[in-house]
Amino acid sequence: MAQTKVKEKKVKVTWKEIKKQKFLVIGTIFLVAYGILFYYWPLTGWLMAFENYKPKSGILGSKFVGLDKFRFLFGDDVFIKAVRNTFAMGVINIVTTTFMAVLTAVLLNEVKRAWIKKPIQTISYLPHFLSWIVVTGILHDSLSASGIVNDLLLRFGFVNQAINFFAFPKYFWWIVAFAQNWKETGWNAIIYLAAITAIDPALYEAASIDGADRLQKIRYITLPGIKPTFLVLLLMNVGNVLNAGFEVQYLLGNGLVQSVSQTIDIYVLKWGISQNDYSLGTAAGLFKSLVSIALVVIANAFARKYTEERLF
Amino acid sequence: MKKKIVSALLAMGMVMSLLAGCGGNAGGSAATTDSGTTETATKSDDGGSAATTTEPGEVTEFTMFITMPGSEINDDNEIAQMIADKWGVKVKETWLTGQTASEATGTLIAGGEYPDFIDSDEMNLLIDADALVPLDDYIDQYPEFRDTWFTPEEWDKFRQPDGHIYWINPFGNTMGESKATTHNDEAFWIQVKVLEWAGYPKIETMDQYFDVLEGYMAEHPTMEDGTENIAYTILCEDWRYFCLENAGQFLAGYPNDGSVIVNKSTMTIEDYNTSEDTKLYLKKLNEEYNKGFVDPESFTQTYDEYIAKLSTGRVLGMVDQWWDFAYTVNDSFKQTGLDEKGCNYVPLGLTTKPGMENRWHTYDDTVNQASGIAITTDCKDPDKAFKFLVDCAMDQELHDLRFWGVEGVDYTVDANGLYERSPEQRQNWADTSYQASHRCQYSYFPQWHGTSRDGKNANKPEEQPSEFMNDMAKPLKDCFDAYGVTTYPQMIGSVVETNGPWFPMYSFSNNFTTETPGGVAWAKMGEVKHEWLPKVVMAKNFDDGWNQYMEVYNACKPEDFLKEMQDILDTFK
Repeated sequence: MAQTKVKEKKVKVTWKEIKKQKFLVIGTIFLVAYGILFYYWPLTGWLMAFENYKPKSGILGSKFVGLDKFRFLFGDDVFIKAVRNTFAMGVINIVTTTFMAVLTAVLLNEVKRAWIKKPIQTISYLPHFLSWIVVTGILHDSLSASGIVNDLLLRFGFVNQAINFFAFPKYFWWIVAFAQNWKETGWNAIIYLAAITAIDPALYEAASIDGADRLQKIRYITLPGIKPTFLVLLLMNVGNVLNAGFEVQYLLGNGLVQSVSQTIDIYVLKWGISQNDYSLGTAAGLFKSLVSIALVVIANAFARKYTEERLF
Repeated sequence: MKKKIVSALLAMGMVMSLLAGCGGNAGGSAATTDSGTTETATKSDDGGSAATTTEPGEVTEFTMFITMPGSEINDDNEIAQMIADKWGVKVKETWLTGQTASEATGTLIAGGEYPDFIDSDEMNLLIDADALVPLDDYIDQYPEFRDTWFTPEEWDKFRQPDGHIYWINPFGNTMGESKATTHNDEAFWIQVKVLEWAGYPKIETMDQYFDVLEGYMAEHPTMEDGTENIAYTILCEDWRYFCLENAGQFLAGYPNDGSVIVNKSTMTIEDYNTSEDTKLYLKKLNEEYNKGFVDPESFTQTYDEYIAKLSTGRVLGMVDQWWDFAYTVNDSFKQTGLDEKGCNYVPLGLTTKPGMENRWHTYDDTVNQASGIAITTDCKDPDKAFKFLVDCAMDQELHDLRFWGVEGVDYTVDANGLYERSPEQRQNWADTSYQASHRCQYSYFPQWHGTSRDGKNANKPEEQPSEFMNDMAKPLKDCFDAYGVTTYPQMIGSVVETNGPWFPMYSFSNNFTTETPGGVAWAKMGEVKHEWLPKVVMAKNFDDGWNQYMEVYNACKPEDFLKEMQDILDTFK
């Protein structure tokens, strides 16, 4: 309380004061303008969701149709499936990538020799810099009937006929999760590694004196030490659940698996851009944003209640 | 203080460079306009005739986007430069990559910036966005072009509800006597080596077709170099799934109306998706799939993977349109010598029952009024742009340059005035790096089939009888000889028949939008078929798969779509 009081010591806004802070003011104006222009101004486009938008007549000239577009949306089986797929893939991705990142960070931290640790770390985050088109290309090749995966499975006798992985809906989500993990694990681990470095070495020493073995040190020192980082990242990711992806699913999907591969983003592209129904696309996008905001708020409330970490 | 000044200067410098970037663009486009207006002035002097009297040095660069995949040519392409020198226009073509045609068009519209020329499958979207320049006045400025390119009825087909013409289909026009040697349509294709192995039998039905393929596979599971053969593959990516989707209409003996069947005697629209012929066709595919003769990667391969697969010569047969594979694949066979090993494809006119008439080949010019080349509102100099478009159609010299190349380099003229090419010239013409550096076809600008204005040569090399015969590899020639034919259309042997004025019906359904119930049904049907046709082919039990498919299909309300198609057909009664 005392601190806030100090902060609130009011400075009268006078021309003289503004002049004195002119660099700060100018800098701020740029930032605010940037924010308005690129974050808030585009939101006026949401109006499209409530009209029958035609590029010719513009936002102001198009016919207002209320919630018609939303009615069509929720009556459309394909959209419902898209929401389901997005959620499912989002959750699978968060759970697996977080788990893998923590695991990698903890294991890497246990490697004491730098000449082993450093190269592994570097190699493991390199895929992060590949674009999805490259990653999906590699994946498509290696999982094809004549690809390396089928080759290995056949050679070791696990299967007697090549499996066409992309033809079966049941594999699709896991292929996406695998791609996500392969690409991002090393990169995500960096932040946990940093958090581990911040843990006071004295704790480990004390634990050693108390006779703790390696596993116990991980269990009682490392993991609790990175808990705050873990929670904050998790909270931020929850808001991203519906951003389960666009490129991966778009590039890996095909007619056979479209019922499990289409995400909300692909749906928006299909109807909004391809079928030229901007309004429907906007409605779907709006729905996605609202759900994402709600998710963050709920997750934050949970965090506030059960732990001391929170976003806001 | 000094530091402050330096940083302030730096900041200013950055801002200036940003502004300069914008200003530079504006200046650049202004310059283009300038040279453009002078050009217009000279043109209006000579009364708008199609003559090619352009002062050298005034080259206008136009941009063009085509919603089809294609290969870009080099910026310093030789023929492009020759065209620019003489006709004052250079066109920078860009092609579809990674997106579907409608996505690419939608993205352009959302961005609001267009290339000068556009050829899109989604013209109606562009009209909706006011992106196209009405061409009526320009067309009337060139009466000779107007009267030779289309008949008044054909022009009327291009007229939009607002009474204007916005685009011109560049394809399918035949000048003089038809020299069609290729079957530029859909067919069941088969490699000539398979036919040779089977002793050139008469193949009329799918059963016979697959019998031959199976027999060949049993004896030759691999190619000479050890690559495994694939009996039959199906391309299924995005809009190209016609390779799976519409064979039913042909098997029933109907022509390529594409989205529906037109019963001429009753003038009614029929749905081939649910027809008995389509069911039998899918049943046969299902049977072959379960026997292992259909490529298991069929439904997951991309177009690029498919073309690569065909180019290796290991695929014995498939359904496809000639233009969808033949140019790339035949060029590559020529380069790798696979054509001499009998890998070239010939078309078979299969029907459900033997002895039926087939209509796989379209003899008349197909005028697809759903798409074509258009000039956008962003084009700085539509006069010059349109003039070039007319030149492409009307100037034989330009046409020869585009499709035959440079005299003395790409072809020679014999004593009778006939164009001919040496094997080396043919090889060059098929070489991809030569294509990029030398060849410039402007392939989505107006072009002719048939006989050139000199009355002797074909407008395109592949239609020149001597060229066609000399270009053929021996196995292909043997095959034609064995069947007693000389061209691809004779090989497929479709009945000669004029199609109704509504043909092809797909040019109407291609322009359906989700504004109408029929358009929504059409979009949903497409979605369902993309998923279910492969599922039916892969089903363990065909009847179960088919029944489930029919259930989902009928939920899309295809009747809405068919009714709107019937309404369109009724206007031709």
